[in-house]
Amino acid sequence: MRWTSRIKFVFLLPAVLWVLVFTIFPLGYSLFLSVHHVEREVVVTGREQVPVLNKDGQPVLKKNGEPRTKTVVKRELSTTFTFAGLDNFLRAFRDAEVATSVRITAIFVGAAVAIEIMLGLALAWLFNRRIVARPVLRSIMILPIFATPIAVGYLFFTIFYEVGGPLAFLGVPWLSHPDWALASIILVDIWQWTPFCFLVFLAALQGIPDELIECAALDTNSEWDLWREVVLPLLQPVIILVLLLRLAEAFKLFDIVATLTKGGPGIATQSYSYLAFTRGFKLNDFGYASAMAFLLLIVVMIVVTAFFKRLRRAYE
Amino acid sequence: MKLWAGAALCAAAVIALTPAAWSQEHVKWNDDGTVDLMLGPDYDDTVIKVQQSDLGSLFGQDQQPFEGEEITVLTLDSGPKGGISGPLQAFRPVWEELTGGKVDIALTPITDLYAKMMLDLRQGTGLYDAMIVGAFFYGDLIAGKYMVPIDDYMASGEYPQWTYDSMPPSLRNLYTWKGVGYGVLNDADGQVLYYRRDALTDPKWQAEFKQTAGYDMPVPPQTWQQVLDISKFFAGKDWDKNDAEPDHGTVLHLKVGEQGHYHFQSFSAPFAITPGDKVDQYHNVYWFDPTNMKPLINSPGHVKALELLQELHKTGPAAQVGWSLGEAWDYFLRGKSVFAFSWGDVGALCQDESRSKIKGNCASAVLPSSTEYWDHQNQAWVKTDKPQKVGNTTGGSWHGVISSFSDSPEAAYSFLSLMSVKPVSIWMAQHGWDGVDPGYSYQMLEPKGEAKLDDYVQAGWAEADVKEYLDAYYETYNAPTMLTYLRIEGAPEYWDIMDKNLSAAMSGNKTAQQALDDTAATWEEITNRLGRDKIQQQYQDSIGFKP
Repeated sequence: MRWTSRIKFVFLLPAVLWVLVFTIFPLGYSLFLSVHHVEREVVVTGREQVPVLNKDGQPVLKKNGEPRTKTVVKRELSTTFTFAGLDNFLRAFRDAEVATSVRITAIFVGAAVAIEIMLGLALAWLFNRRIVARPVLRSIMILPIFATPIAVGYLFFTIFYEVGGPLAFLGVPWLSHPDWALASIILVDIWQWTPFCFLVFLAALQGIPDELIECAALDTNSEWDLWREVVLPLLQPVIILVLLLRLAEAFKLFDIVATLTKGGPGIATQSYSYLAFTRGFKLNDFGYASAMAFLLLIVVMIVVTAFFKRLRRAYE
Repeated sequence: MKLWAGAALCAAAVIALTPAAWSQEHVKWNDDGTVDLMLGPDYDDTVIKVQQSDLGSLFGQDQQPFEGEEITVLTLDSGPKGGISGPLQAFRPVWEELTGGKVDIALTPITDLYAKMMLDLRQGTGLYDAMIVGAFFYGDLIAGKYMVPIDDYMASGEYPQWTYDSMPPSLRNLYTWKGVGYGVLNDADGQVLYYRRDALTDPKWQAEFKQTAGYDMPVPPQTWQQVLDISKFFAGKDWDKNDAEPDHGTVLHLKVGEQGHYHFQSFSAPFAITPGDKVDQYHNVYWFDPTNMKPLINSPGHVKALELLQELHKTGPAAQVGWSLGEAWDYFLRGKSVFAFSWGDVGALCQDESRSKIKGNCASAVLPSSTEYWDHQNQAWVKTDKPQKVGNTTGGSWHGVISSFSDSPEAAYSFLSLMSVKPVSIWMAQHGWDGVDPGYSYQMLEPKGEAKLDDYVQAGWAEADVKEYLDAYYETYNAPTMLTYLRIEGAPEYWDIMDKNLSAAMSGNKTAQQALDDTAATWEEITNRLGRDKIQQQYQDSIGFKP
């Protein structure tokens, strides 16, 4: 092989290293953790008194003239990995909190994604018509996409504040009632992600040739029929794509919960990802948290694969 | 050309100003054997006078005992003038000037502190030389041998001087493990009842209350049942003159994942603990049966207490289900609720007129008791005419410990103990913003302690407030019956699920029985997973149970 052929591997190396270090290794390590129990303990292996030296390397003296000493303790961290097989995975199926978080996540995903897509479609239809100040309104409409979810969570925390907040006059227990708290999470997600759906649908609508619509309009006076029979079938691949993206994102619901409710009241808004996070990063149960993360990964992959198949069929 | 001139001017200004900032003096050695510790303009130019002997033999006018050493201290983040993290930042330049060392303060939200600390220790990274911990971290810290014992440092006389002898046994227990010292004296946490003196002693309200409840309003209330009656009476009435809005009964902080579960701990203790002369299988136990680690958390005593707490919650703002500590405190400080039961910070913050409208009317008492308690031995309720107060050390009693991985444990100890010398510790108890609450003998008023009323009055306290406040804390920490503290491996996990279930109960999603049964069931799983024998041994050691 000539060097000019080999050089391509050198150029590929940074990307390969990147994937190995930041994707493959963490994935492999978390898989390792998910099938092990980890015990750690500090073991003292020795102690010695050493003189304290100043920056010039001279012994530091006490007020009474004796050299100051300090204890140097040699310690080692002893780590024991015990193979746990599928213990952590099976534990997730016995854990009542996991069951509740799955239910909450399912409600959230179902409600938020459905509303976002329907609302996005309706807005796209509206903005596809001639309306006053359309460019300005369109720009304003898409602003929420650019906000970080953490900031959005804190923003809505102040909006939903029940004593003296801007919506306090409504008397709605936004964050203190279990059902309303979940509804609030859904509302925030809708506020943030409907614009994304709207934007993609609007682009797709504007990509439909005018002639096609005009031809179809010759056959019917009903705008609804026109939508149902012509526009929606043309939009179907885009709708599936948006659905896919939103589903994959919604299943990972974390940021809004972390900032708005911390999963409460009780565990009324504790999503699956938030639970996995608290298990791992708040209670240091990394094996279990890794197992939970892998289970989520499997579910999301199944959903995504199913939708991809559907998408492929739609295109074919 | 103009641009260059401007830049040069800026650079000159920076050069001129920087040495001024650097030369800010934080330590002044006086000829009379005292030393002024000066906190600087960010801390109201506070000067704390200590004796040279308070600082230990390493420190001296021309000494720089830790020159070139750099230590990192992990702490919860409440800001540069906030609870627990504030004092570290205030005393950092003082220690740096005294020692020639350097302190980095690693700040993290309180909810992440345990995870961040354990991650560092479990990985053996050794990022932190010292950590400010809650006493409930001790189970994990002891199990992993992650802390350095400090008795030798204390005995050496080289470091700033303080002693465990100033602590009542209930607090000393939280700073030590089986008699070995690990924690450096700092905060003392326990909950007391705060009430509005003006409302409860107003003859008009007293007469109305008697008419409604059928008995004289007790001031302060002696039982939680009385607190509920009074709370119900005041809820919805405009009894506070600070605004024309209706006010509430009791304010609580119940946000899940935060510190709401502490309310339940100290509230339920008199219902759920069977008093006795010593800790045995049935007496003075609250969390588990020490002989088999079966949870007691769903005992009838705990359940009845939670039912009463649910009732009490209804007399406060409904939104408090989602409230953190600060929101609930501010509600009470603004005069919107007649009761709060919380930590010592509230009493001190009542005196801060920039935040409080109730200075002079902020009364305190040891937490009320109950007219009945659950007898674990006979499995029956016991009614009593003389309800016995149950003391508590509920909370974190936040203090510093030295990491086993520290390369500079002496420097770390020296920094932490600088904030433990008596004059500094007294100053911290007198000020609300620092989050360091009183509990030690020299902070208590004579004759129970060594402090003088005048010192507190001069520090800005209302006389009536401070007397009751310190009496309440003295009683709380020296009560014959105490709520035992949970210091076992995995304590944060045990509390996490309890917190979630309590929050579900307080928001109406579960009944009290359901919430505590669910908690007990999960505790059994946790104990089995962590190893029943190991956890049982830790539990017995931590509560002083002798099989």
